[in-house]
Amino acid sequence: MRRILAQTRKELTQIVRDYRTLSLALLLPIFLLLLLGSAISLTVDDLPIVVQDLDNSSASHDYIDAFRASVTLHVVPWPVDLKPEDALTSNQARGALIIPVYFGRDIARGSVAQVQLLVDGSDSNTARLIAGYSSQITQAYNAASGGVVRAQPVQTAMRFWYNPGRSSKKFYGPGIFVLGLSMFPPLLASLAMAKEGEQKTILQVYVSSISAHEFLLGKILAFMLVALGEAVLMCVLLFTYFGLNLAGDPTPFLIATVLYAFCVASFGVMVGAAIPSQAAALQAVALGGFLLVFLLSGLIYPISNIPAGLRWLSNFIWGRYYIEIVRDALLQGGGWPATWYKVLEIAATGAIFYALAWRTMRRMQVKA
Amino acid sequence: MATTTTIPGTLGGTPESSTPAIRVRDLRKNYGAIQAVRGISMEVAPGEIFGLIGPDGAGKTSTFQILAGVMEATSGVADVFSRPARETRAQTGYLTQSFSLYPDLTVSENIRYIGDLRHVPADEIESRAQRYLWMFDMGRFSNRLAGKLSGGMKQKLSLVAALVPEPHVLLLDEPTTGVDPVSRREFWDALAHLASDGLTILVATPYLDEAERCHRVAFMHLGELQQIGTPSELRSSLHVKRLELRASDLSRAEKILSEESGAREIISDVQRFGDRLDLLARDPLQAEELVNREMKAAGISVSEIRLADPTLENTFVATLRNIGHEMHETPFPARHTHRELKGQIAIGAEQLTMQFGSFTAVNNLQLQVRYGEIYGLLGANGAGKTTTIKMLCGLLDPTRGKVQLAGADRAQSARSQAVRQRIGYMSQKFSLYDDLTIEENLEFFAGVYGVPEDERREKREWVLSFSGLEGKQDLITGSLPGGWKQRVAFGAAIMHEPSVLFLDEPTSGVDPLARRAFWTMINRLADEGTAVLVTTHYLEEAEQCNRLGLMVAGEFVAEGSPSGVKARQTGHLLEFVVDQPQKAADFLKLAGERWRVSLFGDRLHIISDASPEKAIAATTAQLNGIGMNVLEAREGRFSLEDVFISVVERARLQGKVASDDA
Repeated sequence: MRRILAQTRKELTQIVRDYRTLSLALLLPIFLLLLLGSAISLTVDDLPIVVQDLDNSSASHDYIDAFRASVTLHVVPWPVDLKPEDALTSNQARGALIIPVYFGRDIARGSVAQVQLLVDGSDSNTARLIAGYSSQITQAYNAASGGVVRAQPVQTAMRFWYNPGRSSKKFYGPGIFVLGLSMFPPLLASLAMAKEGEQKTILQVYVSSISAHEFLLGKILAFMLVALGEAVLMCVLLFTYFGLNLAGDPTPFLIATVLYAFCVASFGVMVGAAIPSQAAALQAVALGGFLLVFLLSGLIYPISNIPAGLRWLSNFIWGRYYIEIVRDALLQGGGWPATWYKVLEIAATGAIFYALAWRTMRRMQVKA
Repeated sequence: MATTTTIPGTLGGTPESSTPAIRVRDLRKNYGAIQAVRGISMEVAPGEIFGLIGPDGAGKTSTFQILAGVMEATSGVADVFSRPARETRAQTGYLTQSFSLYPDLTVSENIRYIGDLRHVPADEIESRAQRYLWMFDMGRFSNRLAGKLSGGMKQKLSLVAALVPEPHVLLLDEPTTGVDPVSRREFWDALAHLASDGLTILVATPYLDEAERCHRVAFMHLGELQQIGTPSELRSSLHVKRLELRASDLSRAEKILSEESGAREIISDVQRFGDRLDLLARDPLQAEELVNREMKAAGISVSEIRLADPTLENTFVATLRNIGHEMHETPFPARHTHRELKGQIAIGAEQLTMQFGSFTAVNNLQLQVRYGEIYGLLGANGAGKTTTIKMLCGLLDPTRGKVQLAGADRAQSARSQAVRQRIGYMSQKFSLYDDLTIEENLEFFAGVYGVPEDERREKREWVLSFSGLEGKQDLITGSLPGGWKQRVAFGAAIMHEPSVLFLDEPTSGVDPLARRAFWTMINRLADEGTAVLVTTHYLEEAEQCNRLGLMVAGEFVAEGSPSGVKARQTGHLLEFVVDQPQKAADFLKLAGERWRVSLFGDRLHIISDASPEKAIAATTAQLNGIGMNVLEAREGRFSLEDVFISVVERARLQGKVASDDA
């Protein structure tokens, strides 16, 4: 036990000594949370579309006003003598609405008036939104101008639970929190571990007859503390700036956080032990800690959206379970019944990382 | 098979004890197909300082790692106190070749960590650390980051950290590489002290003056032990005498005598130093006759022939020769000569001063090095040597003063292309790219230094053969042992045949044989007119220079030829043989000035300002007073190291301090 603590103290001293490491450990996660938490947003507004009104009648003006009233779309006037596709290619607008001549006349006659909507499909998400909003506006215009009104047998009354304002901050905040924990503690752990090999300090450790378990646990404990420190700091931000609150029983969240700290610290130590070069270890952690968690854990895109061929991979991404636990604790409040097996998954993954690290280090000898 | 020549009498001569501290029997270590250690056997008695000497790649580090229990042997026995080395790690202290403590922890944090790992009680760590730090004169540095210590301090810290768990065996793998002479002597004084307290020490060193301070020495070569014995036994096993020859034209004298020398000839070996030749001969009288005859015939005037004992270095080289391992010399494919420049000033500095803030690193330095001259810049760590070199070759702008380099003064900028083409620089730290192959490194440097296209191949081949790496050009440079890297780096620095050559500790970590090849090459370049400015920590090596400058705290405190510097030394060197050398040394250190006393194996060296007779009488009386017997006392001759240490200490007493203490 004493050696484990000695190891932990040494690691913490080294972290505190180097202000770059310390800021990497504590400030960057906060920065990441603030930046990504507020910057990522899938609700769009003010999408520019140009309108070319070839009819210039009162009916066409009414129709255009309906578009102007929308928060999502932003109407940019476009002269009649310019080609509307130029607005798309020059990125001045994401869509172009063209109202042909005789639009007003056709409406007055009660016959079907045609309008054309060109949408920039290069960003599929935005294109879908513009198309959707445009047809909604058109429907509303039809209803208001006394077109054919059908009886509506079913009417939905929608309520948004857990995040009533559908604030994307509340959705992404917990995700970025997990991302921060998945990235920085293992990064520091792997660098510290690889450095021992690079600077040959590992020889002093080998010669001291400390066991592999003591050595690894000491290191892991140090970086668990770093992870938990980060977690506390980021939680403060989540509860204040992001306006989140604990929903229901917090114990699964607390236990899972400690286990997750163990899991990511072990991951870092495992990588550092296997790759005794700081530059290479950094790449490995960046791939595992950042890319996989970012893409395959349901942080931004629902896991069901991942192509089926790759979806199974997400079952092995440790961040995925923790994200679900954190979202549950802060939004849904499902408690133990909803999360117990996820907590176990995290513990199991951590144990696997630890076992692999131990396998590399078990002999505590120079490899030859 | 290992054919170990155990010199008769050695077995009985080891310190008394029935169980050896270290016992090695037929130890082998293979790395794949490479046999690093090929069945070595030896025993080290408790309290013995046992030196392991051998060229780079002899298998010393592998042996150390096995004995430290951090690597498995392929086969054989490696016992420490009759138990396998792996199980006795708790009793072993191990200093690795490179500094292996944490540079980002302070001195006391490092000690605390190592102590904790070894289950030393917390209050014991504290008190032992204090004791050893005080012993090594490092008490005031306990809160300094280890990374900010000088090379010598780092090694002393490593030693303290290794000692805190109170090990029974110390394994030191080239502990003094890059350590200045003053610290080196302190380090070895400390080792002698520890051994007299019963600690067993196994030490590897490439420096044979250090091997003189061991009780017994083993020569290791290609994974086998060639010879084991006390230093004096090894020296006398050669059955030769050494003749120091001082003559008017050393270069020609060397050439003539080299042709005469050979294993079966009267003169078996010729080695050139800065102002003398060393000759080895079985029959000194015959040799002296031969030398006089030859020199007369060539019209070279001989100023002195002095008879002396061979050094361990001589023994080492001779042993390697006997087993057929000779540095085969491939002649350097010289295409350009600078002979016509000889005598002109190549490097000149006037009132050279460098200030970093309020700290004056170099103060008012005057320096002139002519083409064809080898100039040695000596000094402790932090004396300002590297700063001086950097200013001289234009990497650093001096605060004040003028620099003249290769015919251009600073106004023309020493950094100009034309000037750079004419200088070669081998720095202490950076030399080669570790992640390139040797071939790629050489190609790169040939390109940067503008070696003509048609000369590149022969130059590259020469570097490979000089380094003993023929056919290995595709190895990654980082995988080479330090000494080999140094050889390649040296070769790379002279490929473009510079007329001015700066060498910043070129031979640190290089074995004696390779060092000799270095100096042969340096001498040859100087003969062709190249001006060479070299720094070194190894004063035996400084003897190779034509002129020396000793720096303390940024100033020259002595300058001149090696013999001149020694002759101007005031005071006398006295050699004592006493019955309890360590106790006597401790006593005399406390009674007088610390630096005046040092212990060489079983002999005490004392530097005294009084006349030799008086000093011997006084010291003898002192020692008799505490019940010790003086068995022998005589005046000895100053080595350059003695001079260096007394000059530095005297300067220190006058208030000049190295930057380390700032």
